[in-house]
Formats: sequence, structure tokens, C-alpha cells
Amino acid sequence: MTSRFGKGLMLAGVVAILLFLLAPILVLIFSAFDGGNIFRFPPRSYSLRWFEEAFNHNEYKSSLWISTVLGVISTAIAVGLSSLAAFGLVRGKPSYRLALEVLLLAPLTLPLVVWAIALLSIYAQLGMNGTLPGLILAHVTITMPFAARIMIATFDEIDPKLEAAAKSLGASPWNVVRRVTLPLAMPGLLSSTAIAFLVSFNDVVVTTLIAGAGWITFPVRTFSRLRTEGIDPTTIAIAAMIVGFTILVIVLGQRLFQLSRRF
Amino acid sequence: MNQTPDITPTTTALLVAPAAVLMFGVFVLPFLFLVVLSFWSQVPGSLSLDTSFTLTNYVRIFSDSYYLGGLWTTLWLSGFVTLICLLLALPLARWIVLHAGRAKGLLIGISILPLICGALLPTLGLVNLLSPLGFINGALKSMGLIQTSLPLLGNITGVSIGLVQAFLPLMVLPLINTVERIPHDYEKAAMSLGASPFVVWRRVLLPLMLPGIVAGSLLVFCAALTAFVTPQILGQGKVVTFASLAYQQAAMVLDWPFASALGIVMLMFLALAGLVGALISRRLARAS
Repeated sequence: MTSRFGKGLMLAGVVAILLFLLAPILVLIFSAFDGGNIFRFPPRSYSLRWFEEAFNHNEYKSSLWISTVLGVISTAIAVGLSSLAAFGLVRGKPSYRLALEVLLLAPLTLPLVVWAIALLSIYAQLGMNGTLPGLILAHVTITMPFAARIMIATFDEIDPKLEAAAKSLGASPWNVVRRVTLPLAMPGLLSSTAIAFLVSFNDVVVTTLIAGAGWITFPVRTFSRLRTEGIDPTTIAIAAMIVGFTILVIVLGQRLFQLSRRF
Repeated sequence: MNQTPDITPTTTALLVAPAAVLMFGVFVLPFLFLVVLSFWSQVPGSLSLDTSFTLTNYVRIFSDSYYLGGLWTTLWLSGFVTLICLLLALPLARWIVLHAGRAKGLLIGISILPLICGALLPTLGLVNLLSPLGFINGALKSMGLIQTSLPLLGNITGVSIGLVQAFLPLMVLPLINTVERIPHDYEKAAMSLGASPFVVWRRVLLPLMLPGIVAGSLLVFCAALTAFVTPQILGQGKVVTFASLAYQQAAMVLDWPFASALGIVMLMFLALAGLVGALISRRLARAS
């Protein structure tokens, strides 16, 4: 095998694998512009009608609103708590740092569907099933590891000498945090906020088990419809917009503050 | 790095406590409750629980061929998906580290995209990719390669494609981390001593990448074993996986003790997989 031929083959293989990885998302975006009621390839017509439909559909609008509210509240709590904890772990260097990191990151390694079954039965005993607080607690828990990982990496990179210098020049502890630590941590805070929100907004595994009838988020509505009635083109249009937004966040995050390095 | 703390132990504890208490209470405790619950039973025809100790749930799983079949399908499907992910991720991870240059960050961003999008949105795209009128069948038909649509949905093929697509990033990320630590000279040295590319991979690269391979395989295997959204949508109810059985029991039949027992069985297989992974890593550490 000549090395140039080998390299070409390798490149072709890598491009094919990347295409495979991206194919579902590319097809999703492409099929949102199909004019028909059922997606077929090649499409008979192209149109924006499903996007228009998406903005006029009340059922979807209310579920998107629920997803947004839930995402915003859960993200605020998860980023807040994980920032405090990450700061404590990095600056306090307690002997239990490793154990606590394992605890905060646990939802990434343990199966969420099994956990959600347990949570569902506990909520049922407590009468919390289908309530907003119950849902928020669950979403804070699943977004916490993403936020915590980014915040720990962020504080690890901030030199404590900068804080010490501000303090020695007479800044009060609150001023040190406000004028030195927070600005330096801002890229990390923004990254973790964006990722945590997207994880909460897109979650279907946990939410479909504990959402109940009152707080049906967009992914849960889509999932239950999909099992009974198949794909609705309006869903595809909304999903394409969500994916487009997600890609935008990742590309911007990468450009502005090297999102991938924090993962 | 300086090892003296910059804040007092009390401040540290106060900062860490809210997150720790929340994660312990909302995440860890339910798993403990799950163990207890799996030995209870549901009072027939009601939502109340019979709290006397019983093994019925476990007996039912391991004696009913429906559940055993689901367990078997899930195990080999997860193994198969892990293998395919590994075969695709090895060249991809190496290429990203060695040749991607400035595009590296963006490529990693692309590979984490499915993780952040959740299980549902990419699956929607996959349905349109694989359906009888969809992208693949439509393209093959208009090229005149096939007359009737290939069945890619509602069977194990579709589910495998969906799971590989969803979990490939879990394999790629740990592999990138290990490949980054292998000096490029090793490969060149082996080549200059006359090793063929195949021998370089088998004797030099693969052994050095093994920690990443073990970590990635464990992540993919665990994720595939407990997936239910992708199998339910792409399998269209015709592929019975263990997690979708547990989901049905919890969300539709509302038999929570039985759903808990199904969950515990899944956890036991995950623990088993973890144990195998740990044994391999330990042998490796001793060998080197």
C-alpha cells in the first residue's frame, strides 16, 4: 500500500464516518423543507409551510413554552449550585474532592431510565408526580454533571494568585469575587449555562417518565405522538430549528471560548 | 500546584453542601429505594404497594421467555453496537488527533452534538433517512439499484444503526484522549524497523490505546443496554429491548416493583460489564 493511497483511503473513510454521524441531523434539516405531508426522497416540492405551521400550532407552542420555562429554571439552579460547589472544591482542596466529583458526575455514568423509574415511584408516594417542583428537581439533577464538569475545569484554570493579589490590595471578599473571579469564570459560566439548558430542553428519557399530564415538554409530546401516529411534519420543522439552534450554540461556544476543551 | 487551601474548611463545606445534598437526596437515594422496591409487589388492580418481602418479580423475569428473550436481544445488540462503534471510532479518533489541525475543536464539537441534542431529535432524522419512502430508499430507487424498498425500520437493522449513531461520540471522546498521549514517534520507529501498517496497529497502537478502548466500550455498552427511546422509535415496537420493557412497566402498566426489578437486573449487567473492564485494565497495568 503506497502511503499516498493509504492516506486518501483513510481520509475517505473518516469523511464517510463523519457523514454517518451527521446524516440524521442533515436529513432532519433537509426534510423540514419538504412540501408534502409525508417525507419522501426526492421531495415532490419544497416549501416553508411546516415552519409557518409550527408558529401557528398552539399545542406545540405551549409545549415549547413549558420546555423553555423548565430549562431556564433548572439551568439557573444547576449552574448556581455547581458553581458554588466547584469553587469550593477547587479553592478549598478538601480531602473529599474526588468523592464529591464522582457524586456530582454520577448521572453521566448511571442509567437515567433506571433512576427515573425509582424517582417516579418515590414521587408517587410523596404525591409529587406530575408537579413542576418534582420536574425541576429531576432536571437540575440531570443537568448538574454537565455544569459541574465545566465549572470545575474553569476554576482549575483560574490562578488563585490573582484573587490573592486583589485581596492584598485591600479588596473585600465580595469585591474579589465580583471584580476578579466572576469575570475570569465568565466563559465557563456561559458554556455551562448553554450546555445545561440544551440538555434540559432536549431531555426525553427522564421527562417522559415523570412529566405527568400537566407539564408535557416538547420532546415528550413528540415522543408520545411518534409512537402512536408517526411523524408529523410540523414536528420535523420545530426539531430542525432546535437542532439549528444547538449547532449555532456549539459553533459560537467553540469560537468564543473553546467549548470542546472544557468537555 | 500549591496544595494549601485558599478558603477555610467551613467555607468549603458550606459551598459544596447544597449541590452535594441535592445529588445525594435526588439521585443516590432513589437507587437505594429501587432495591427495596424490587422486593415488594403491586396489589393487583390498584396503585398501592404490598410491602411484604417477595422474590416474585425476579422469578418472573428469569422464568418468562418474553423477558429472557428481551434480555438476550438487548445483550447481544449492545455488544454488537459496541463493536461497530469501536471499529468506526478508532480511525476517526486517530485522524482527528493527527490530521485535523485547527478543525479539531470543531470536529469534537460535531461529535458531541448527538449527546447534547438528546435521544429524540437525531432519531427523527433517522426515521426520514431509513423509512420506505425515505432518503436511502429514495436515492437507491432513483438510481435504479432497487425496485422495492429495503426494510430498514421496524427491525434490528434500524435499531442498530440508530444506536451506533447515537453512541459513537461516547467511544470517540475517550479514544481521542488516549491517542493524544501516544507520541507519534512510536509509530514512525516501528515503521522504520520494517513493520507493516497492520503490525503497527496490532503491536504498537492498539495496546497503547487499550485504556481508551476499555473506557469507551464500557460507556457505549452501558448506554446501549439501557436505551429505550431509539429502540422504540426505530424498532416501531417490533424490537423488544430490556429498557423498553422496563419503561412500559413503569409508564404504562404502572407496576413499579416489577419495573424496579427490571432496572436492578440492568444494573447488575452493567456492574458485570464494569467488572470485566476493571479486570482488563488491571491486567494491562501489570503487563506494562
